[in-house]
Amino acid sequence: MKHLTRLFVFILTFSVTALGVIQPAQAALIGAGDVVAAASGQENRAHIAAMLERPAVQAKLQELGIGADDAKARVAALTDDEAAALANKIDSLPAGGDGVIGALIFIFLVLLVTDILGLTKVFPFTRSVRR
Amino acid sequence: MHVRARRALLAGMAALAAMLAGCATQTAALLEKTPEDLPARVELEATPFFAQERYQCGPAALAETLAAAGVGATPDDLVPQVYVPAREGSLQPEMLAAARRNGTFAMTIPPRLDALLAEVAAGHPVLVLQNLSLQWFPIWHYAVVVGYDLPRGDIVLRSGTTRRMAMSMSTFEHTWMRSGGWAMVTLRPGHLPRTAEEQTAVAAAVAFERANGAAASRRVYSAAAQRWPQNLPLLLGVGGSAYAAGDRAAAVEAFSRAAALQPDSAPALNNLAFALNAVGRREEARATAQKALLLGGPWQDAVRDTLRAIDELPPR
Repeated sequence: MKHLTRLFVFILTFSVTALGVIQPAQAALIGAGDVVAAASGQENRAHIAAMLERPAVQAKLQELGIGADDAKARVAALTDDEAAALANKIDSLPAGGDGVIGALIFIFLVLLVTDILGLTKVFPFTRSVRR
Repeated sequence: MHVRARRALLAGMAALAAMLAGCATQTAALLEKTPEDLPARVELEATPFFAQERYQCGPAALAETLAAAGVGATPDDLVPQVYVPAREGSLQPEMLAAARRNGTFAMTIPPRLDALLAEVAAGHPVLVLQNLSLQWFPIWHYAVVVGYDLPRGDIVLRSGTTRRMAMSMSTFEHTWMRSGGWAMVTLRPGHLPRTAEEQTAVAAAVAFERANGAAASRRVYSAAAQRWPQNLPLLLGVGGSAYAAGDRAAAVEAFSRAAALQPDSAPALNNLAFALNAVGRREEARATAQKALLLGGPWQDAVRDTLRAIDELPPR
């Protein structure tokens, strides 16, 4: 019992001492990113991070098939400009991917013709007349 | 009758073509007058190939350029980093971000055919976004340009499920310009695109640091600062990354250059004071920090913290 009390006092003393050592503000280098962000006046990343916390946004991400943690890691690696672009355009940015769903026969024919003319390259079997 | 019908069809097609797309002007200019430093043909045959799974051209193309930079990621590794299932594709900012997360220096290059060919000639495979179809019915597609052949007028791609696709340069120009000429390279840290633009490179270096940490960013900042020695954020990056890697003398040197370049920059003076204090040059550190304090502005809190550290904590 006496040992336990002594141990408790020791832990308490140690904790208080350790707390006392912590400085209120930490001096640090100002990073290149801070300077660039300040110069351009963009805080898009913080804005997006805050957006990601909203339930409606998380539901939308879920709907798109992206996990919340994945989304945060992705945002962290963006530049300010890219973050701005993503923030503005997540619904309209071209997403590479070759899904042709519900293509109409009219569209098929037009693209076949433009493929042959060498303006487009939709179909693997066409060979352009412009060589 | 048949001949006339065929003529009418050809005329119609020509009119349609003119209306829809105009001419491949860059291809014509390049083929007519090739820049002197551009070899006639280049092919980066060592660039690996990953046949894309359904819709997943983004992860496949990215894996190809990453492998060329020495990163062994497979398309499957990259799917959770770039693929958006509901859009059946990958967004361009995420392609750049994923390349950084995998430790390469990724940035876009100018949307011009001559810039694209210059990168390939420099040994950098280029990841491009194409709209294989027309504006009003887009089919977006990522592919990797690994070569070109000016005499034949061809661009060589790793594309979709085709290991070596030779596409007519004018067709390529049409499909690429319909994405706004979007193109990126992923390079080993310390290498820069030959055609890099300063502001894009600075933003890309900062994004690299954010993804990989300051200590890992030394080579990126050094290479960029070597090309643009007058750029303040790059010099701060050189100093900050040197400090994070434990090279305090190099940090002092870089921050001194930054402060000499812009004597009215509080961040440059603050960082110089911080680094001087760390190497035990306390009086110089104090004088520098006080100079920064006199400048006023939004960095005052950081400068006060530095000054307090100089006054209170003896340098270790």
